[in-house]
Amino acid sequence: MTPLLLVAGAIVGIGAAVATGARDARIASLGLVGLLVAAPFVADPLPAPLPLAFGVAAGILAGFLVFVTARRVPDGPAPTLGLPATLVAAAAGYVAGLGATAVALPRLGPDAALAAGLAALAVAVGPIAVTRDIFRLGPALIVLYTAGTLVLNAVAGTPAPLTSIATGVLVVALAAGAAVVGSGAATLGGTTGPDEVHHRRPAVARPRGDAR
Amino acid sequence: MSLLPFLAVATAGTVIVTLLRDRRWLGTLAGIGAVLAALGAATAVRPDTPLGIGGGALAGSDHLRVLLVLCLGGGLLVLIVARLATWQPSAPGALLGGAAGMGLALGLAGTPPALLAAAAATVAASALALGSPAAPSRIRALARELRGATTSVVVGLVAAGIVPAAASTPGRVPGLAEPGLAEPAAAALVFLGIGLVLAHRFGAIPLHARVSRLADATPSGALPILAAWVPATWVIVILGWAPVALGPSSADLGLERALIVALALVTLLFGAVAALIQDEVDHVVAYTIVADAGIALLALASLDPAARDAARAWVLVFATTRTAMIGWTIAFRAAFGTGRLRDTAGWMRRAPALGVALAAILVAVVGWPGLLAWEARLAILRSATGGPVLLLAYAGSLGTGVAICRLLVVGLGRPSPIVAGAVGELPRLPAQPAGAASGPAAPATAPARVRAASLPGRVRVLAASAGRDARPALELNRVPLRAFVVILLAGLALLTAVGAFGIDAAARAAGPSLPSFVPFAGG
Repeated sequence: MTPLLLVAGAIVGIGAAVATGARDARIASLGLVGLLVAAPFVADPLPAPLPLAFGVAAGILAGFLVFVTARRVPDGPAPTLGLPATLVAAAAGYVAGLGATAVALPRLGPDAALAAGLAALAVAVGPIAVTRDIFRLGPALIVLYTAGTLVLNAVAGTPAPLTSIATGVLVVALAAGAAVVGSGAATLGGTTGPDEVHHRRPAVARPRGDAR
Repeated sequence: MSLLPFLAVATAGTVIVTLLRDRRWLGTLAGIGAVLAALGAATAVRPDTPLGIGGGALAGSDHLRVLLVLCLGGGLLVLIVARLATWQPSAPGALLGGAAGMGLALGLAGTPPALLAAAAATVAASALALGSPAAPSRIRALARELRGATTSVVVGLVAAGIVPAAASTPGRVPGLAEPGLAEPAAAALVFLGIGLVLAHRFGAIPLHARVSRLADATPSGALPILAAWVPATWVIVILGWAPVALGPSSADLGLERALIVALALVTLLFGAVAALIQDEVDHVVAYTIVADAGIALLALASLDPAARDAARAWVLVFATTRTAMIGWTIAFRAAFGTGRLRDTAGWMRRAPALGVALAAILVAVVGWPGLLAWEARLAILRSATGGPVLLLAYAGSLGTGVAICRLLVVGLGRPSPIVAGAVGELPRLPAQPAGAASGPAAPATAPARVRAASLPGRVRVLAASAGRDARPALELNRVPLRAFVVILLAGLALLTAVGAFGIDAAARAAGPSLPSFVPFAGG
């Protein structure tokens, strides 16, 4: 495990904490950019230059999509934990991941990838499980997805170039989906969570001709 | 290489119909044209030489061709039924975008890329269907779909990664002296994780709320791709991998397999009960999808390649019959202005063609011994269960048929006032204005008469006349036209159930969707 891997993993953890814990949505999207740009470097051996560049470009594009939406989003409820507590949670996840070296879990990738993955996982689960602000859900989902790819790197080793490229494509697709959700919520003037009590319209109130 | 033209056409079609979604007639024409073009490209998909991409491969297969043709053919018919009822601008884009993602997911070799592409298909179809126009229920449904796709792909990726790691490092766990003991524990985790993914994507109980809410929020024309075809893609990807990766450990997974079988039985039985007690036809269809998630879970629980092949055939019957049922509900709701069964007693008096179509769908869903639909379902049940449990699973698997029978029985009752006041299915002709009875008016001037006498002039006059007459005729005959298209949908479901299009052979053929973890296995 090289210092470069540790630093890249730490940047991922801090980016994940900022993306899910910052009060300002624009700062959160900048944290997301840091996370997504650093994540492809947490692999040993490093991916080939083309998939690596693709991953970085996809991360910047995804962060930009979320940032553009963040500018339109009205102030919603503050994150449940707040930034300091989220940073501590990410640090705890990072240390726990590094500590996995002691129990020698079967894996083919670096410990730093597992550490960064657990750090991102630790801060992403909360906003996804209890979503009070629908805009927060998008960045949290991207953080969770990045955590999954990092854990995959840790257990299965550096992915094949095709998998790296597909990972970048899905990051952009998720960011676009999050942007659509955020824009829609901003247009409607509210950012309620997806699990709000479901008020089903009575069937007779639906317009004739299935126009829903 | 034969898959590339399909991907290009479907992607371009998605962009075009999304750009034209605010133009009602142009959008309709572009939507139908793009789906037809994608359908034509899908028929050309063949199991040819794999195209190497970044250490992986992209290739077509017979199963992928059949799946895409049924998805786009059934989806097109549902779009036409929906268009004859109302204008749903987001539905064609969702169908094409979802189909492109499905083609990618089932054309890529290797489990991680296939899972990533399946998630991308879910995200694309959901965003295209629910993103615009913005409404609170749609935005919430889209957020739930994004959350479900992300959690599913994360669990799937980690599970797919654990297996090779555990298999390649036996005996590394301290305290376990005997090599190989690490693998059963890892296999159990992986199996439960993959079972969770399958249950969530298909809507198995207790994760069934997703399907019901989706049926409420999604434009009905886009519901087949979101509720049936994309989940079917997840099933094919997962079942293509699980028996290969976990089959050798199946003897050590007794408890885990029993858990999945129990979940499947609960889903089959409670899903059928839920479908029987629903009052909305949309929810009846949604809960039949939930109930059939039990069969997909049983196919996973067996970890048997034979059950996998049966599931690859069954899932096509499942998705096609559910597409037909969704088309039927659109026509039903449009005909009576409501989907509530308590208000539409005796509906078959006014809509006998819809009754015939529903009866045909019932036959396709249940089948009979010797029919592909019946045999594939029974093979899955037998591979995972036995004795009284098999009997229970068999009874539960007929729940969808019972729910359809209930719809038919309601239709045979005494007509309610809403049904009595509804428009019937008999075709009607527009009333001819007095001046138009003798055909188009003759041109007044000599040059105009010369122009009209020429061949292009005659074609123009005929086209104008036909267009002028067709519009009111179309407006008057929306009900019989919808019924006719629903009958076509039911016929497609019947053909699928009897095993037309070479479904049986295609389900057993190797291809990219029967992958091992990394190398390309088939093509």
